[in-house]
Amino acid sequence: MLQIFLNGYSAISIEFLTEMPRKRMTEGGIYPAILGTIYLIVGSMGVAVPLGVLSAIYLNEYAQPGKTKWLIEMAINNLAGTPSVVFGLFGLAMFVKYMGFGASLLASALTLALMVLPIIIRTSQEALITVPEEYRYASLALGVTKWQTIRQVVLPAAIPGMITGAILGVGRVAGETAPILLTGAAYFLPRLPDSIYSQFMALPYHLYVIATAGTNISQTRPIQYGTALVLLAIVLSVNMIAVSIRRHYRKKLRN
Amino acid sequence: MSGQNNGKQTEIEVRGLNLWYGNNHALHNISIDIPKNSVTALIGPSGCGKSTFLRCLNRMNDLVKNCRIEGNVRIDDKDIYSKEVDVVDLRKRVGMVFQKPNPFPMSIRDNIAYGPKIHGFSKNEIDSIIEDALRSGALWDEVADRLSTSALNLSGGQQQRLCIARTLAVKPEVILFDEPCSALDPISTSKIEELIMELKKKYTIVIVTHNMQQAARISDNTAFFLTGDLIEYGKTDQIFENPKMKPTEDYITGRFG
Amino acid sequence: MSNRKYQEKAIESLLCLSGVTAVVILFLICIFLFRDGLALFQNYSFIDFLIGTKWYPTSQPNQFGLLPLLFGSIIVTFGAIIFSVPLGIAVAIYIAELAGEKEADVLKPLVEILAGIPSVVYGFFGLVVLVPLLQNILDLPTGQTALAGSIMLGIMALPTIISMSEDAISSVPRSIKDGSLALGSTEWQTINKVILPAALSGISAAVMLGIGRAIGETMTVMMVTGNTAIIPGFPDGLFVPVRTMTATIALEMGEVPQGSEHFYALFAIGSVLFITTFITNIVAEYIKKKYKFNMGAGQ
Ligand SMILES: Nc1ncnc2c1ncn2[C@@H]1O[C@H](COP(=O)(O)OP(=O)(O)OP(=O)(O)O)[C@@H](O)[C@H]1O
Ligand SMILES: [Mg+2]
Repeated sequence: MLQIFLNGYSAISIEFLTEMPRKRMTEGGIYPAILGTIYLIVGSMGVAVPLGVLSAIYLNEYAQPGKTKWLIEMAINNLAGTPSVVFGLFGLAMFVKYMGFGASLLASALTLALMVLPIIIRTSQEALITVPEEYRYASLALGVTKWQTIRQVVLPAAIPGMITGAILGVGRVAGETAPILLTGAAYFLPRLPDSIYSQFMALPYHLYVIATAGTNISQTRPIQYGTALVLLAIVLSVNMIAVSIRRHYRKKLRN
Repeated sequence: MSGQNNGKQTEIEVRGLNLWYGNNHALHNISIDIPKNSVTALIGPSGCGKSTFLRCLNRMNDLVKNCRIEGNVRIDDKDIYSKEVDVVDLRKRVGMVFQKPNPFPMSIRDNIAYGPKIHGFSKNEIDSIIEDALRSGALWDEVADRLSTSALNLSGGQQQRLCIARTLAVKPEVILFDEPCSALDPISTSKIEELIMELKKKYTIVIVTHNMQQAARISDNTAFFLTGDLIEYGKTDQIFENPKMKPTEDYITGRFG
Repeated sequence: MSNRKYQEKAIESLLCLSGVTAVVILFLICIFLFRDGLALFQNYSFIDFLIGTKWYPTSQPNQFGLLPLLFGSIIVTFGAIIFSVPLGIAVAIYIAELAGEKEADVLKPLVEILAGIPSVVYGFFGLVVLVPLLQNILDLPTGQTALAGSIMLGIMALPTIISMSEDAISSVPRSIKDGSLALGSTEWQTINKVILPAALSGISAAVMLGIGRAIGETMTVMMVTGNTAIIPGFPDGLFVPVRTMTATIALEMGEVPQGSEHFYALFAIGSVLFITTFITNIVAEYIKKKYKFNMGAGQ
């Protein structure tokens, strides 16, 4: 890890972060890959967070123990354990081929959204469980409907936990390679993506490409280290934020 | 035994109420008339069904899984378990204060404004409701200068009075109290007792308590429950000085577990 | 009034709908994966796929034998487990039983951070550090071997194993531990004879999930194992390049024409992978349930 940090640090400059790759990616920056990763995060979180939070609300606040609930939780557990490359295959068959999105940002973002959905649901559920039952009773006893109670009292109290979940999801999306490799990430693109149907570059795949398939692998080591460091920095800082929010929140709950 | 009407106008009329939690038959054929603008105390040993009965009056038992209810509960001459009744409206009319103070994690102002806001009052109306409710809840003088601080910083007794004020803010007709003082110190307790005596002028009050003196001090009528049965119901003075039933006497004189 | 009731009902239905999407997604994954996977067997024998020992997807006639890839996955996973299970459990015991609050406060976030590192970064690290190291130390023609994959996967499976085992160990009731210590057992005897057996099913569930993780891991394996599709021997297979099911899919999908036999063969591999992890998940879940029940009855 230290090695990545030291070697990566010396490779990083403003130009590295804001320029296009040059000469078959042996020189220049990684701007398009950073941008692609950001698009992916926004796209997949935009789908997964609302869906995941709503699912968690259903499971915690509405679903009665029984077949439906059992089935949903079983499905979530299995989705959480399904390898990312299988999600990639699914995205390829469903979004790229069947729905005709082609290899694109849209297909990749949707695939990643499905992949992080279990994480979002679980952390949201955890957050909802920590909201004391008394709040719900107090609100219902005031003649407030169940949904209003959830919106006005339960959700605000659960938000910090849910944000943690979403941030963990961001870390996961930023680092995943296999699903986007099968659904739209490009080896190299001379231009930035201009629509949701374009192919795109992304940091993790870019690192894989320049580390294993470049024209002159050992000569481009500095670029590889730089890319690895940027990716690592994004993912780790995102995770660290999530973990510290969670800690802060748990401590507050205890007092 | 069935409850008697004590001269005043009846607000809550219960007939043949039975309740089951799964197979546990928790209330047996309860009939009772609770008069308007008075304090009615429910006493009895732990687990006898006082809270369960109380929760039947604002249908909070609807939230309990496997809970089945038979019989008739009429408030203001309307059957509250009939199909046309909207539980949400019912709970607006029949407020509840819980054993443990449970303010929302919001400011004092927002706690009080919570109900009225959702029920669609305008901003100006809400401002005056807040002051009225806090005054009626005997809390205004203590918190007037810090309405926007968190309710969680108040003392337990203040929190409980805030919860009462929060209930008053939605303008109920009936207020149910489930052991409102059991988590409080003696001084806070006497403040709440005073408050309840004051509130009965405008509201019908039903209160569960384990504290015999409290029941004797504040209530007009007392109902004694034992293992899901209503054993005796009458004027508080009569119940405490001249109980008709043996178990009531045993309980009141402390010859009971 | 009834307006509001309808509104509440509508909201509940909407929420139910989003809850059910997880089931729908799982269902769609099965359909799409199996549909394209089964398409292979229109022209290619199912038996040949299942017991074929050669994966020559581009030769004439092409051969799609599952075994080399399956064994590739198994040997890498097996190596990872041998390495990460004892280490993971040891760390879990340390965190749960021996470490002070301060040490646990450092170790736990460290484990969480380990879990957050992207697999491609692990792969890169393996490629630039571990692979040359193995090549030099073991004097191999190439360091890109099953062993390199095993070590990297072992590191990656550690967080899952540690955090779940730690939960299992921590949930052994205090009274049991104190009872043993009060009888004059040493701390170590207590851990060994009392706590570990009580936490065993929890730990097994953790190991199952760790295995699931390792089998499904793609990028790291692809970058450090050399990707040669031959059936590895044991244990010497650890020191030669191998190719896993996951790596095969990721490597070859880019080059195959959609709708070709090779394309469907990759989906067939994906189906095998999906079924395998599905089973590990179910087993882990089952063990966990049983263990919760036991703990409940024991108290
Ligand atoms: N939510 C519930 N689910 C199942 N059974 C319940 C539930 N609430 C209460 N009971 C059962 O119903 C019976 C009456 O309980 P209830 O809480 O009404 O007693 P109580 O008189 O209020 O006791 P306490 O004085 O301890 O508050 C008890 O046997 C109790 O176990
Ligand atoms: Mg009670």
